Amino acid sequence: MTEFINRNRRHLTWALYALVAVLILLFVGDQLAGKRAARVVQTLISGVLVGGVYGLVALGIVVINKASGVFNFAHGWMMVVGGMIFWSFFTVSEISVPGALLLSTATMLMIMSTVSWRTLREGRNPLITVGGIVLLTALMTVGGIEFQWLHALAGTFAGAILTGLAVERFAIRPLIGQPLFTAVLMTLAVAEVLHGVTQIAWGTVELNLPIFVDPHTNSRFRPIRLDAFRDLLDGVAIVRVELIIAFVLAIIAFAGFIVFFRYTSVGLAMRATSEDQQLAQSVGLRVRVILAITWAVAAFLASIAGVLQGGAVGLSLNISYVALRVFPAVLLGGLESIAGALIGGIIIGIVEQFGTLLNSSEQVGTNLAPYLVLMLVLIIRPDGLFGEKRIERI
Amino acid sequence: MKRLCIPLLILLLAGAALPSLAQDMLAYPSDLSACEVDMTGETLTVFHFGDLSGPYAFITQPIISAMNDAISYWNGQGGVCGAQLEQVYEDTGGNREAAQSAYDRFTSQYPDELDLLMLYSSDDGELLREQLAADEIVSYISAGSIESLYGEDGMTPGWLYASNPLYINQFGFFCQFVAASPETFPDPVIGFVTWPNAFGRAGTEPAAREYCANLGVDVLEEPQFFLPTDTDILTQVQNATDAGANIIYTNSLASGPALIAGTLVDLGLEEDVKLAGVNWVMDTTVGLLGQRVLKPNGLPSVDGMFGSMPFRWWSEVSHPAVQFVYQQFSINQRAIAEQNIAYLVSWGVIDSIIETYIRTVNRVGSLDAVTGADIRDTVESMDYAVLGGLFQARFEEGMRDGAMNRIAVMKYANADMSGPATGPADALLVDGPSGKMFVPLVLPLTDFMPVPQLRSQ
Repeated sequence: MTEFINRNRRHLTWALYALVAVLILLFVGDQLAGKRAARVVQTLISGVLVGGVYGLVALGIVVINKASGVFNFAHGWMMVVGGMIFWSFFTVSEISVPGALLLSTATMLMIMSTVSWRTLREGRNPLITVGGIVLLTALMTVGGIEFQWLHALAGTFAGAILTGLAVERFAIRPLIGQPLFTAVLMTLAVAEVLHGVTQIAWGTVELNLPIFVDPHTNSRFRPIRLDAFRDLLDGVAIVRVELIIAFVLAIIAFAGFIVFFRYTSVGLAMRATSEDQQLAQSVGLRVRVILAITWAVAAFLASIAGVLQGGAVGLSLNISYVALRVFPAVLLGGLESIAGALIGGIIIGIVEQFGTLLNSSEQVGTNLAPYLVLMLVLIIRPDGLFGEKRIERI
Repeated sequence: MKRLCIPLLILLLAGAALPSLAQDMLAYPSDLSACEVDMTGETLTVFHFGDLSGPYAFITQPIISAMNDAISYWNGQGGVCGAQLEQVYEDTGGNREAAQSAYDRFTSQYPDELDLLMLYSSDDGELLREQLAADEIVSYISAGSIESLYGEDGMTPGWLYASNPLYINQFGFFCQFVAASPETFPDPVIGFVTWPNAFGRAGTEPAAREYCANLGVDVLEEPQFFLPTDTDILTQVQNATDAGANIIYTNSLASGPALIAGTLVDLGLEEDVKLAGVNWVMDTTVGLLGQRVLKPNGLPSVDGMFGSMPFRWWSEVSHPAVQFVYQQFSINQRAIAEQNIAYLVSWGVIDSIIETYIRTVNRVGSLDAVTGADIRDTVESMDYAVLGGLFQARFEEGMRDGAMNRIAVMKYANADMSGPATGPADALLVDGPSGKMFVPLVLPLTDFMPVPQLRSQ
């Protein structure tokens, strides 16, 4: 018997997991049997759409991890900063020209000095810098309130790039060559700094960010009602428009990043850098530039997620905690996997919603179910669903 | 980047109703005790700490503004019986370890001066309850949990004194209101959709359910929880309504009630299901954030939401306390977004502290001689209309929380500011950061009445 177990340990383990999974599904199925079809469909829709937002947040964390191996604990606060910058430009009828000029100048100087400060003086760089400053300032200030979207997008783009580059330049770059854990701890410190900066700059009052507003009614978009399926579902399911928008944006971002990492030289360089920074540097890759681009991109992604989340529920410091809820999605999908971030986000979203449907009173949906699923997946696939299995030679 | 303006304009209404305030300085509205001891040359320190940068920061930050304004006002008037006021405070970020550390620092640095401490949250109250009693330090708090005020058995009054009624008592009071209003609430069934922390769970206890059932108001046994970071709570709201709830009650703040109200509108249930909650749902932030979703009648989703209002509110512009605080708010050019519960009630807490010290010093002879036990004796014999009636401080016979409450409804002002709007056509709309904005009103529906005492049931 012992010999049989030892010989078939692997298969028996899988059989055990399969049994547990079947039992869970039977239990859930039994619980769902008492629910109207409309509720089940509604829960599935909510789970997928909320999961899309989780996926977008997870993508920012994965991008940093993929390129640098650093797990970014400051991502939630980057979301807050990005959302607040967007709010500042979106809700003001007249943008301060000196303020916009200052933001543009700081951003362009950081971009153009990514390799070193000396490059600012080389060749056409001064001209490009001035041109960039003029262009960004113009985009942020042109026209009145009717151009609020343009102002907000330009301002958020500049603010996010500046945030990402500043974090990389002043916090992460000095740690190149140091143990990764040091950089991870640095992201905790960055989170606190961003927390403080946000509080000083925008205060702590919860802000309304009316981006999902129907201009005719000045109200949030009415949800889409699936009335055609009323009889079939024994009720009506609804789909919230702002969550569809967030979901579509998430899908576009994911598609873009998959292409970027697979087919562009910068993307490939990022992947190479994530394997081994010193090796990448030795073959001529500009590790500094690659890391800087990565942080800027992650900050921009965080800003998009912050704006979407702020538009859906209001902008407050609490948005930073969304990133904490996304960590299971990141681990579930695999720390380095772009597609895994989306699928992990959607799975966590669905699990949360069904957990809440079955038992909201004990917070099964948010506190228990996602972590149970995560545990189960990690036991079977320690690198996550789509993570890269690493083999280290000793 | 500079903080940009938020033209929320509850104040427009108040400002328009108070045209004379800009010209004349109003008299301090409290009937403070006369000073029998001259404290000139001495310093009266107001100690407080709590979450100023964590999850509750959006509602607590105006405490500091109110404290600064009140201290500046009093020192400008020559102090309290001659003593200059100052404050010592600390931000704990909502972290229990930080709260403990702040308490340890305060008690070690100010062993003689620290007799009275202001706290912000139930969590800190629970953490420090035993220590305050051991160190004989009285604590004023806006709202406390049963455990912080009365101990785990709910029967042991401690050294913390709350100005608001316990949340469970507020819920019982709401049940009274529902039972007395059958036209508004036919066949009432209440379902909790609330935050999952100690604050959010208050009122979900079996004692509250039993009390309400005896009044003919059913309360669903299973509360539905959601987090402040949730983007979609359709599942929780539908769980409650599917179980039969036609009233949703919430212990949440800011975006919490607004999210529930918006979800009800999304589901087309805004007429069939009423929304209600504790005193915090009546705050300015809710009135603003609730405008994100409009009902089919064109008014914001939280229009018609019920809530506790155990103190006077900004829109009660004829009340001397409100007039006075509003004038100070204007003089100090506070940001309009700070015009919330915390700013208003903090002026009341300062007034309570001053009255407490005046009475205690009158009795013991000098500020130096005052101890925590002396302060406690004073507090327990007080029956005091704070700031001339902002709320009542009465802690006799072991009471540690506010005994009186009112039910109010959130509405939006009509164009001539004579009452609530019936639709967007007659509503007062002002320019805001996101276009036209409605001006929230909080209208009391009842007089101040005693709350039921449910903690001991």
